[in-house]
Amino acid sequence: MLKVENLTKEFTGTCAVKNLSFSVEEGKIFGLLGPNGAGKTTTIRTILNIIKPTSGKISYNIRKPDDNFFNRIGYLPEERGLYKKSKVMDVILYLAEIKGMNTSDAKSKAAVWIEKLGLENMPQKKLEELSKGNQQKVQFITAVIHDPDLIILDEPFSGFDPINQQIIKDEILSFAQSGKIVILSTHQMETAEKLCTDILLLNKGEEVCSGALNDIKKKFGSNSVKVEYNGDGTALNSLPEVIHIDNYSNSAEVQLKEEILPQEFLRKIISLVEVKYYSVIEPSLNKIFIDLIKQSSN
Amino acid sequence: MKKIFAVAKWEYLEKVKTKTFLVSLILTPAIIILFGLAPTLLTGKDENSTKIIGIIDSSGIFTRGMKNELDQYKLKNGAPEFILVNLNDKSQNERELIYSADSLVLAGRVEGYFLIKYSGANFSQTEFRTKSDESSHDYFKLKDAFNKAQIKFKLEKENLDPYLINVLTSSGELTEVKIVTNGERHQRDFLVVFFTSFIFIILLMMMILSSGGMLVRNLVEEKSNRLIEILISSLSTNDLLAGKVLGLSALGLTQVIIWSLIGIVLSGASVIPPHAFDYILPQFIYFVLGFVFYTAIFVGVGSLVTTEQEAQQITSYLSLTLILPIAISVPAIENPNSPFIHVLSYIPFTIPSIMILRFNIETVPFREILITSLIMLVSIYIAVNVSSKIFRIGILSYGKKPSLKELFTWLKEK
Repeated sequence: MLKVENLTKEFTGTCAVKNLSFSVEEGKIFGLLGPNGAGKTTTIRTILNIIKPTSGKISYNIRKPDDNFFNRIGYLPEERGLYKKSKVMDVILYLAEIKGMNTSDAKSKAAVWIEKLGLENMPQKKLEELSKGNQQKVQFITAVIHDPDLIILDEPFSGFDPINQQIIKDEILSFAQSGKIVILSTHQMETAEKLCTDILLLNKGEEVCSGALNDIKKKFGSNSVKVEYNGDGTALNSLPEVIHIDNYSNSAEVQLKEEILPQEFLRKIISLVEVKYYSVIEPSLNKIFIDLIKQSSN
Repeated sequence: MKKIFAVAKWEYLEKVKTKTFLVSLILTPAIIILFGLAPTLLTGKDENSTKIIGIIDSSGIFTRGMKNELDQYKLKNGAPEFILVNLNDKSQNERELIYSADSLVLAGRVEGYFLIKYSGANFSQTEFRTKSDESSHDYFKLKDAFNKAQIKFKLEKENLDPYLINVLTSSGELTEVKIVTNGERHQRDFLVVFFTSFIFIILLMMMILSSGGMLVRNLVEEKSNRLIEILISSLSTNDLLAGKVLGLSALGLTQVIIWSLIGIVLSGASVIPPHAFDYILPQFIYFVLGFVFYTAIFVGVGSLVTTEQEAQQITSYLSLTLILPIAISVPAIENPNSPFIHVLSYIPFTIPSIMILRFNIETVPFREILITSLIMLVSIYIAVNVSSKIFRIGILSYGKKPSLKELFTWLKEK
């Protein structure tokens, strides 16, 4: 478990991160979200020991990060770039080596990843000869080749086309499934919504909201359901559980009273109409994000 | 430790393959050979061929004496060094004579000529007219010959016994000998001193500049593409720094070895004077100390810049401190005991080049070698520590250059 306690980082004159605490467990994908300048990157850099916190504590499996911890981290920075004049394979092997891998391990792992990401013809090319997307793939490989336990990805999808985005998404999900800690920092709320199990929303260096994504959605949801049906829908309009209903010819969006559970309501309407589709409407993470940031900024 | 070597290996291999390295590998010795060989070749040519010296002696009574004196100078192969040619022509007046003789000199037909005006009692206004303005060996030989001939002539005129004349005019020559070890002879040759000192100082300068420049450019690249973040989330800054310095030093060593091989080959072909390598060991030590010292400084300073232009500026400022010893080397060779030189041989920035120079000029006391080496070692220690602190923070600050005040707060951080 990665635990961050009361982290504060001040730069001359400004406070980039204020008293931030959170923890991430193995097998979780943790979304570090927030608008530009919220302090996401500063938080990441502090975890990585790139910069020292002004105050606060970071621990990994209860211990203070030590030299071995370096070898257990994989990091994909937001701003990309590798040694442009060097060969793809050389760069991958070098960065694997300074993560403590020996050359033969690094070589076999590199081959696996190169195949997985479709870079078969590239290893002996110079990085500057590769397309931007392929350079990003190489960078992704360098971040994960040493099979790290803690993977920190800053905007991992930028620069990828939808097909490659899907490949990367699948990889990230498989990391979590194999019990790694994944910290994902991104602006793409849709992706975060699909991938993250937990999120931390930051604004101006402070926590705005954090927790399991489902809980947060519930908290900010308005207890609404969507029904698609056959039959006479007017019967739904006058039910006592309903606060508000938008009823169309064969579907309706219904806002329920707070104490009413969606499945109770479903049980009730089954006798009135033939239900073809029933689901709880959750607010999108995007909406929560925008609402919360606006709120906290005011 | 393993990671330090990984970094060193990377830095070394990636740079050895670059064109910049290859160019500096070849260009540097080429420049040095040009610098060093031009005078050697020029003077060498002079000493290996007979020169024609003219004489205009209107009285005609002095020519034979001059010829006798000049005949004493022989080349290594036994041929006469000078041949005296009478340029006097009774049909021409003095102005015409000078005019035609001058044109012979200008055309390169004769090296120069004596214009002797004998007024009965004295050689007033005797001139040696030549095209070259160097105060060369030739001039001293000719002057010497003229003076001897003059004295002999005067003594003969006083009807002195020819035997006595010989005794009186024969004289020993004064040769300057540098004492190295008791009783051994070591002739001091300006050219050798100049050349050998320059080889090392220029090599040192070129190496520091080329590898320092590479280092700074490399840091700028790593900084601008944020690779530095990946690096220092993989290993400590001290290890990274150590790896970089190690890699660069290995690179420098490669250069030195290749250059030394070229040097040995050239010296084998007697292009470089063999004396050039008399003090190779202590000079090499100062060379290494200087290289490490400057590299450490380059790392610290280099981590502060963010653009290629800034990098270039910084590199040229630093190179000024390296060029200074070259600028003062001529007065230093002429006057190695001046207090100025002694002060400079205790300043870390100039110790390496001044000491390299001094080894060739004089016998440096062991005490001084010890003190200056210690100064260098302490300076390196300080430079590495200060640089690594600046490096630690500098490589992560983008954009604005830090103020001096900020730098001091960095240094205070643990």
